[in-house]
Amino acid sequence: MENELLNPGMEHLFFGITAVLATVSSLLVVTRRNPIYSALFLIVMFAAVSVIFMLLDATFLGFMQLLVYAGAIMVLYLFVIMLINPREGDLPEETGTVEKAFAAGVALMVFSLLSFAISNSDVVATIAAQGSIPALPEVHASHGAIASFGLELFQNHLLVFELTSILILVGIIGAVHLAMRRRTAEPTSSSEEGVVTSDV
Amino acid sequence: MFSLPTLLYLSALLFSIGTYGVLARRNILIVLMSLELMLNAVNIALVGFGRVHALTAFSGEHGGQIFTLMVLAVAAAEAAIGLSLLLVIWRRWASIDVRELCRLNG
Repeated sequence: MENELLNPGMEHLFFGITAVLATVSSLLVVTRRNPIYSALFLIVMFAAVSVIFMLLDATFLGFMQLLVYAGAIMVLYLFVIMLINPREGDLPEETGTVEKAFAAGVALMVFSLLSFAISNSDVVATIAAQGSIPALPEVHASHGAIASFGLELFQNHLLVFELTSILILVGIIGAVHLAMRRRTAEPTSSSEEGVVTSDV
Repeated sequence: MFSLPTLLYLSALLFSIGTYGVLARRNILIVLMSLELMLNAVNIALVGFGRVHALTAFSGEHGGQIFTLMVLAVAAAEAAIGLSLLLVIWRRWASIDVRELCRLNG
């Protein structure tokens, strides 16, 4: 019962468009000088990934991707960019050609290693033996819907869910503690240190 | 075209683009964004594997999607901590250059 709305040809077309969109926008994210442009292209990339999730019948997760990433996390990024408001002179000078080439070489090595592993896997071998690309296997009509997803999450993975909520709580407390301004702490501690060293 | 190997190739490509961003850029904001990019690449692979092995997986029908939801939560916590560290660095040195961090003292 997969995707009655889209026939396989349309599915392939949509996937191709979103894959190209995700690749191009992520390349733009890592190459733009101004962080605002990077953030905006990152939103495009998140939207493309959410379309891919929905094509994979993960509807709820696709919406979650849009809400959490494109909604919450990117707003956080844009707020921080707005808060520090870096001028053209504040942006760090970027790396030279040698370092860029080194980074590109490492990235290329990672990619070739991963694609070597993928192309040697059983899945690709069976596809090559069959000579045609198999459709994704059939799943229940409710696959990825919020009800079945939530039932499985709270029945089988409750402990992980609770641990994640603790992680988020720790994250919030840490963020507030770090971003808090401490005006009086530093001078007193340095003077105490000075006293101690003079006594010694 | 739309099958597990293609998804994995896309995931590997996005992951290595993120690797390039982390290694080549000196702006902490863009390094953090490249980290988000790498997490997203892994999410694509997780959801793809979960979809293909939905009925045979040990972890249940939605195992890959639940894993991805946890990665989403970790990414949110990471962004919050990373950006508040960035604010501290900005107040301390008025710079968002990663090379400021090599000193490791206040």
